[in-house]
Amino acid sequence: MPSADITLGLRSLYIIPSRFGALWLASAGLLLLVAIQTGSNSTLLLGFVLLAVMLLAMHLTHDSLQGLRLCCGRPAPVFAGETAMYPVLLESDQRRPRLQCRLRGEQRVVCDQIPLGGMSIALPWSPSSRGWQQPPQVQIETVAPLGLFICWSRWQPNESQLIWPRRRPGPVGESNPSTVGHGLEEWHDLRPVRKGERQAVIDWSGAAKGRPLQAKVFTDPVDLGPILEPAPGVPTERALEHLADRIWRLHQRDESYGLRCGSITLVAAKGVRHRDACLEALATQ
Amino acid sequence: MSHRRVEAAPAWWALPPLVLQCLFLNGSAPLTWPTWGLVACVVFKLGECRRPFDRRLVALLQVLSAGLLAAQLQGLLASVLQLLAVLLALGGLLAHELGDLVSVRALLGRSLKLLLAALPLALVLFLFVPRIPPLWTTDLGPTRGAVTGLSPDLDPLSIVSLAQVDASAARVMVPEGDLPGEVYWRVLVHDQFDGRRWRHRDRSSSSRPRSPLVRDAVASQWWVVEPSAIRAVPWDGAALPTSSDQWITPEGELLVEGASRQRRSYRLQSQKGLHRWQQRVPLVQDLQLPPQGLSRLRQLAASWRDLPTGDARLRAAESWFRGQPFRYSLQPGAVSDLDAFLFDRQVGFCGHYAGALAALMRAADVPARVVSGYQGGRRVDPLSGSPFIDLRQSDAHAWVEVWLDGVGWHQVDPTTWISSVSTDSRLEAAPAGTVTGTGTQPVRWWTWLQWQWWGLDMAWTRWWLSFDQTSQQAWLRSFMGEQRHWWGLMALAMAGPVLLLSLWLLRGARLWRLAALLPFGPWREQPLERSLRVLGRLGVEPERGETFPQLCRRASQVCPDRAPLLLAMAEHQQLLVHAPLTGAQRRQHRRAWAQIHRQLLIQSGRIRS
Repeated sequence: MPSADITLGLRSLYIIPSRFGALWLASAGLLLLVAIQTGSNSTLLLGFVLLAVMLLAMHLTHDSLQGLRLCCGRPAPVFAGETAMYPVLLESDQRRPRLQCRLRGEQRVVCDQIPLGGMSIALPWSPSSRGWQQPPQVQIETVAPLGLFICWSRWQPNESQLIWPRRRPGPVGESNPSTVGHGLEEWHDLRPVRKGERQAVIDWSGAAKGRPLQAKVFTDPVDLGPILEPAPGVPTERALEHLADRIWRLHQRDESYGLRCGSITLVAAKGVRHRDACLEALATQ
Repeated sequence: MSHRRVEAAPAWWALPPLVLQCLFLNGSAPLTWPTWGLVACVVFKLGECRRPFDRRLVALLQVLSAGLLAAQLQGLLASVLQLLAVLLALGGLLAHELGDLVSVRALLGRSLKLLLAALPLALVLFLFVPRIPPLWTTDLGPTRGAVTGLSPDLDPLSIVSLAQVDASAARVMVPEGDLPGEVYWRVLVHDQFDGRRWRHRDRSSSSRPRSPLVRDAVASQWWVVEPSAIRAVPWDGAALPTSSDQWITPEGELLVEGASRQRRSYRLQSQKGLHRWQQRVPLVQDLQLPPQGLSRLRQLAASWRDLPTGDARLRAAESWFRGQPFRYSLQPGAVSDLDAFLFDRQVGFCGHYAGALAALMRAADVPARVVSGYQGGRRVDPLSGSPFIDLRQSDAHAWVEVWLDGVGWHQVDPTTWISSVSTDSRLEAAPAGTVTGTGTQPVRWWTWLQWQWWGLDMAWTRWWLSFDQTSQQAWLRSFMGEQRHWWGLMALAMAGPVLLLSLWLLRGARLWRLAALLPFGPWREQPLERSLRVLGRLGVEPERGETFPQLCRRASQVCPDRAPLLLAMAEHQQLLVHAPLTGAQRRQHRRAWAQIHRQLLIQSGRIRS
């Protein structure tokens, strides 16, 4: 069940002896056998000490994760086919020894120490398709402190990550803007509100969504760029990938561009927000 | 110290104790080669290990090596070295996960604490899990090897010069009142005579006779015998075995199961009176002589055959020996046969006289045999307490047992009949059968030190190594009664509470001071955590993004009377966490922080000054 956070406890932690733990048990058995055959008290006691350490290690390893809280971070969008980093916050009321964390089937991240209070880690994964994608289960595991047991937990975070279409160079359809939009719609960026600012330039729609009050930065009508659209005759997915690449390049060159894709039309503009809006429109097409 | 060095240091330090003990293993013991191989594996693996699993494997191999060594070397010093090796190996295991968080010293401290935490449960299992006898019978001891001691073949006539080896042979702790007056510690019985040599018949392979076991007996003799070439061990000829792995042969040899080429320890129950072996009727071989040769010996013995009893013939032999000009010498020179010794050379040591008397008695139709063992010994009173008797290889002796009707096997020492001692002999003409006191001869300082160590070693042997299957059964019987079927269940029932206690300590709820012994978990509070708790009592909780110095400054505004203490605490805590301090500086700041912490607690009324 996806959730925003999880506190690791008896219901969510699993523990089994590691391969080294199995060797440890076999060694304890061997020592006990030698002790029986030779009648050596020291060997016998050492064999029992190994067993006792094994029992203690089970609880110590379990304690390494018990009480740890995992929370979703705010994942940044990323292109499909590239390594996405999924942020996870580890909150702890105590220092904890080394642990490993990964999204299932992906590369693992080793944390040498969880400091008091906690830390944030970014888990890599490789999404293959565009859109709002839910990452695989997070698997957190540790063998600390003795390596005799492996204790792990799995958690499905509910925060999805936006995956833009893969960047692939290729033809895109272009058209010049047929009409010049209303002046108040041709803004491309936001800046803090200055004293005495006209109310017309304030980004009321952003303020309504809870963002701080900001003023729109308007585009010079002379700078209006082309309206990008999927190239005719190219399969949809491939056309979206070409568009994503073109948008990225135009943004890098700080040029204006608009987007018409399906029912969505974004007037020509430039800036990070415009770029993200265009790519999100492509991702969710 | 870099992370890698901290991580690898305990594992490297565990090697010297292991390698040192390997040097003292006997090369012909079956367990020795696996142990050497294991330690060699540890050395090579430690040199090339890169992965975490390899490092853990090295630690496990080190523990395993220590366990195999413990099965072979059981002395006090060896046990200390084994404990050290295990401690360091566990440190190496912890270092992999914690090496970058703590110093080597702290790592070893945690290793010790982990060992202490595991010990209660291990001791419960050790004490309560019923022991079982060996699963299969095999002599795990070596079959060859350089050891000193008695020889199964007694051939004094070939010995030109008897070397006096002063190596230790055995030590025995006997209760004060039980010290026998005539101290002859018998080991081997030589009853096969070929005209020159007295051979010992190997009886260890024969079926083990049932010896009377002393049930519920309090063992009163604790023996430690150094590695020896023979399986029989010294005893006083009267004590009773206390364990099923000891038995007495019909000839009066005490055999102890286990490898003879390792140091052995065993316990006996002292008793007075005759033993069964002393009443065993002589066999034909006890009268056996070579068919030819020894004409003069036979002639002399024939003159005693007319005497009515064996006792009279023995007295005749004694008077004959006393009447001859025999001399005692450790460099007698080789002689061709017993005739040459008895009637021409007349110079020899105990082996000569014992062999000659036994042959004479047999020729006079009195069953006789030669017994070799140790005579006397030296009483040692170590500073550590319990006195013991130290037997040296130079105390080796040979005497004769003759069968006297109505008496049984009677012990005779013909060496005591010899009054003349050669000037080239180093042996004092001390009367046989006495335990010499420590004050009679000057003692070299290293011998004195050795005795003190042996005193500790004997105590270790007595209290630790002697807890064998028999002792455990007696102890369990006194603890739980005769309900043997329930012993295993009781062991589990005892282990349960101890495990719960360990878990309670692990959780560290109430006994956090005790739980601080354990190396991990919330009880391992750092100065920051403890400081935060003190500030929490003052009603000052940290806010998001606030550093500790900022928190302390805010607390000093809340409690201006404690401002100097709070600011000083922040300073020391910051230094402890962030500054690159030497060990001495760290201790100094830690002490200063602890003092401030205590003063704050006193002021908040938490503790009394």
